[in-house]
Amino acid sequence: MSDTPAPTPSPAPAPAPKPAAAPQFSVDTLIKEATNGQIWKSMFRNWPWQDTARHRARHIVDNVWLHLHPTKVRPRALETTFTWGLGGLSFLLYLLLTITGVLLMFYYRPTVELAYQDMKDLQFAVSFGIFLRNNHRWCAHAMVTIVILHMVRVFLTGSYKKPREFNWGVGVILLTLTLFLSFTGYLLPWDQLAIWAVTVGTNMAAATPFLGNEGPFANLLGMKINNDVRFVLLGGTTVGANTLLRFYVMHCVLVPLVTGALIMLHFWRVRKDTFSAAPRQPDEEKVDVWPHLVVREYIAAAICVAFVWFVSVAFDAPLEELANPNVTPNPSKAPWYFLGLQELLVYFDPWIAGVLIPGLIIKGLCAIPYLDTNPKGVGYYTWKERPFANAIFMFGIVMWFVLIYIGTYCRGPNYFWYWPWESWLIHKPAPPPTWSFPLWLGVLSIAGYAGLGMALPKLIKGEIDWKKANWGFGVFFLVLAAAMKIGGDIEAWRIIVVGALLWMTFLFGFLYPQRYLKDIDFMRYQIAQSLNLMMMAVLLKMGLRLGLDVKYVLELPQFNLNI
Amino acid sequence: MTKRQLFYGLNFLILGLSVWAVVRDNTREWKDYQTEFKRLEVSRLKDALSNAATDAEKESLGAALQAAKRQGKAIRQVLANDLGKADRCVTCHVGLDPYANPGLSTPYTEHPYKASEVPEHKSHNLTKFACTSCHMGQGLATTVEDAHGRVAHWEEPMLTGPSIQAACVRCHGDFKTLKGAETAKRGKELIDRLGCVGCHSFNGVGGEISVDLGDIADKPTSRIDWSHTGECHGEHCGALEKRDWNVKNWIELHFTRDPIVLVPGDPEAKQCAPKTKCEPVSPSGMPPFYKELSKEDAVAITAYLMGQTANKYPSDYFVYAAPAKEPAFANPTAHGQYVFQKYGCAGCHGEGGKEGRRNYNAKANDQTKMEEGLEPTLTKVVGNYTREELRKKIHDGVPASAIAKFKEDGPMPPLYMPKWNEKIKGQELEDLITYLFSIAEKQEVW
Amino acid sequence: MAEPIKRKDFLWIGWGALATFVGGATAASVRFLVPNVLYEPSQKFNAGPAKEFPVGVSTLWFKKQRVWIIRTEKGIYALWARCTHLGCTPNWFLDQTRFKCPCHGSNFSTDGDVIAGPAPKPLWRCQVEVVASGDLVIDKATLENRPGIRDKAPYFAEV
Repeated sequence: MSDTPAPTPSPAPAPAPKPAAAPQFSVDTLIKEATNGQIWKSMFRNWPWQDTARHRARHIVDNVWLHLHPTKVRPRALETTFTWGLGGLSFLLYLLLTITGVLLMFYYRPTVELAYQDMKDLQFAVSFGIFLRNNHRWCAHAMVTIVILHMVRVFLTGSYKKPREFNWGVGVILLTLTLFLSFTGYLLPWDQLAIWAVTVGTNMAAATPFLGNEGPFANLLGMKINNDVRFVLLGGTTVGANTLLRFYVMHCVLVPLVTGALIMLHFWRVRKDTFSAAPRQPDEEKVDVWPHLVVREYIAAAICVAFVWFVSVAFDAPLEELANPNVTPNPSKAPWYFLGLQELLVYFDPWIAGVLIPGLIIKGLCAIPYLDTNPKGVGYYTWKERPFANAIFMFGIVMWFVLIYIGTYCRGPNYFWYWPWESWLIHKPAPPPTWSFPLWLGVLSIAGYAGLGMALPKLIKGEIDWKKANWGFGVFFLVLAAAMKIGGDIEAWRIIVVGALLWMTFLFGFLYPQRYLKDIDFMRYQIAQSLNLMMMAVLLKMGLRLGLDVKYVLELPQFNLNI
Repeated sequence: MTKRQLFYGLNFLILGLSVWAVVRDNTREWKDYQTEFKRLEVSRLKDALSNAATDAEKESLGAALQAAKRQGKAIRQVLANDLGKADRCVTCHVGLDPYANPGLSTPYTEHPYKASEVPEHKSHNLTKFACTSCHMGQGLATTVEDAHGRVAHWEEPMLTGPSIQAACVRCHGDFKTLKGAETAKRGKELIDRLGCVGCHSFNGVGGEISVDLGDIADKPTSRIDWSHTGECHGEHCGALEKRDWNVKNWIELHFTRDPIVLVPGDPEAKQCAPKTKCEPVSPSGMPPFYKELSKEDAVAITAYLMGQTANKYPSDYFVYAAPAKEPAFANPTAHGQYVFQKYGCAGCHGEGGKEGRRNYNAKANDQTKMEEGLEPTLTKVVGNYTREELRKKIHDGVPASAIAKFKEDGPMPPLYMPKWNEKIKGQELEDLITYLFSIAEKQEVW
Repeated sequence: MAEPIKRKDFLWIGWGALATFVGGATAASVRFLVPNVLYEPSQKFNAGPAKEFPVGVSTLWFKKQRVWIIRTEKGIYALWARCTHLGCTPNWFLDQTRFKCPCHGSNFSTDGDVIAGPAPKPLWRCQVEVVASGDLVIDKATLENRPGIRDKAPYFAEV
């Protein structure tokens, strides 16, 4: 055995060789010689490859990139439809974004004078500049989408249940970090799209209770525009040079590091918690991760890469005119994943829509594994075994995306309602004047909704016949509709909006909990049902505004509490 | 499909997409222009070489030919550091690049002029001014559409034809005396003659009825309501494509169309929120000038107005004009006529006060529609006043609320007589009144 | 003679010291992130003695600062002269006691409320303060237009 790889053949033409003595140079022998030396073997221990059980296992264990996997998994975990590879794809996109991001950093200068010019340079003067920028942009959108889908998948297969509760929480935090990563990157092109999306987004921070200058109790800590939490985030009172630098540092260093650390924790937990939640079959035999799982992962990754590559060549990332703090585009919209929240700003005061509701969403998501005591449905899709959990969760997800859709496609100038097929050049009249419930009615409504909503499902013993209940609701709605038509001369579509939302609240706030939340303990019922009721209340309030022009149900300006 | 097939297929797909990316990145418009330039330059030098008489000439032309053949493709740019400009126009207009083409001998893509023969180019050094400080457009871009600024999200379209004279107005206080700035000069003269300053001001000097035009060229596209410039079918909106939505075209439209079409307001009060009452809003108060102005006039006025910007270049780029002296007049009537023009009285009352212009929903004779409302025609009404009454009228003005409406529930007329007490006084006022009486027709009662 | 410190107490003190250090370091980092100086152009200006504004709408600072100063019987407030429709600058019309935008005809009352036209929201009011010298200081960085809130300090100053 030689210590060094075989020397490469001399390029000089050999003098007429004797056929018998000619050394047989071929690719195979070359590879064999090269991989036989000490250098190669010091790097790759599992060599030469032999297709034995031992080598398959060592291929995983000896490789730093693959050793996250177990050496064997249950066959169920290989099915494409079980995980869709979404967790892995999220990580893949994180890596791609790191690579493209680092490359872009070589040309990008985070100052208000140069950032926009550098965008133009990337587009017009840098080789592969526009491809990299497109790629970074579309990968970021893809990552946000895939991380959300990953969460949905994990929920639907019950993969957050014991012992994975904590890792679900880590995942929720990773989701918010993903959103924050994308959001901080949004500012960097320094065009009109960027600064106004970030202005809209960070204005919500100003509504934080106690810490934001527009939030409730801002006076208690003496919060002003130049010392509150938004000021710290922006490094100034408006989105400006400091903000650009701050977001740049957060986007390129701070948030990726934190995200990376949490990804490691997430993976470590995945591995420790037996990798896959697939249930054990009685006579199953585990299969080797190499090659069975690895090749599937590779195919999923290749499809993802092919997709973002195609989009990056075919579609250019948006770039509007240079940022101008004096010119507010009409409408100004946050990045698409925050448009659900921005839509809520139409119906609620900023601190409720921008702080309370997102806060409750994150906390509610984290609480799910601790509230859901149903042991069934771990590792497979099932509606029958967990109807309540699936129904409420999917309801929330669909509502979130419907709100995003409305914010993206149905909101035009002045944030008035424009159907997707309508031109924004049409002049829409202002929305009708709004009114608020008188205080007594407001208190009564809130107390009634909360009290009845919490108590009724628990109080009623026995099963309710859903058919009858829905028919009963139908009759109630017809009476209500008639009353609205006669009493207030309200258009039919408004009555339908109100009716549809009331029915949804009836279904998810009462019927489902009445049937499925009976057996959980008192504390869990309290928390789960109150979160559920609050979600439905958001919808009801939207219905009251769209249908009946209600501004506030409860108006307590002295406490900054207007619901 | 087996996994293996998928594996190979996807790898080739990614490779193919990457090749597509490389091809797309390497096929850039500007390269074609440089290829063509090189071809022209080589053939020109070859011709010159074959006609060369002396050996020395042959030697230098031969060297030039070799250099031209060796010339590679590259993005070229002109830097004007004082202005923060890096203009890549010369990437395609290679003939203008002083480094690629020192003699500016091959005029390829420098249409429509031979750059070396344009006197303005000689006086405006490329390394001091670059290109876009006069021509506008997008200097950083390297495609035809983007560079010429005819794309969405670029607010400064390239100024073509006589519009380029807007650039003269930006720096040359004395542009009226410049050779080559005749269109801008004409625009300024038209603005004086039409009496724009009766309603508009320039940097605070002038009327207060409408928008200050001192920085009109900086008006962002998003502050313009394009709804009434024409129906949109995809990217095509009436006379303008969406990418042509810029302030230059917006200004020009005010002189080629009736402004009440562009800004129709809400004269019937139809745009109220449901269940509310609202007031009617009159359309644009700007009188219709499109009938009396030619297309050239509109271009001239636009050229002058596009020179009105608050984006200032460093002071050594400016040519300041000596402050204009008040001209001297032989008789009070001539002085009065000058005062009449100076304060833009013609804007509402017409040139020489001969034709009161439109004032929406103001009461006028023989009127059938709100848009037939008129401002007073001075030649007809002045005769009814005494000197004292006229003085008081100019001094106090007539507020819009005091103007008789044609339709009582219609909008308030947009134009009105401002109080001139702080602006026109003393000798100016007296001579103006004298002038007004000199034009009055006394026989008719209005 | 003082009691010798117990092992348990000593550990508590030790952990406490570490916790205090970590907490203090975090607090210091947050403090570090709050800038003490800004390079933003100041949005504040001194409009002169508040008492010298007559009751009504003053256009004294309209050209320079783009605000109207409005004095009522009770006090004083400042409106930012920026139409809430597309951002043009409205003008003040005394005879009609309203602001009218020349671009698309929005009308606003002296309260800033929309009377007519396409503007979706009332005009913004600036933060105002009558300082010790009696001067009116206006801050255009802090704006408010919601009835109720805009009628109280700091968007309204009694004179």
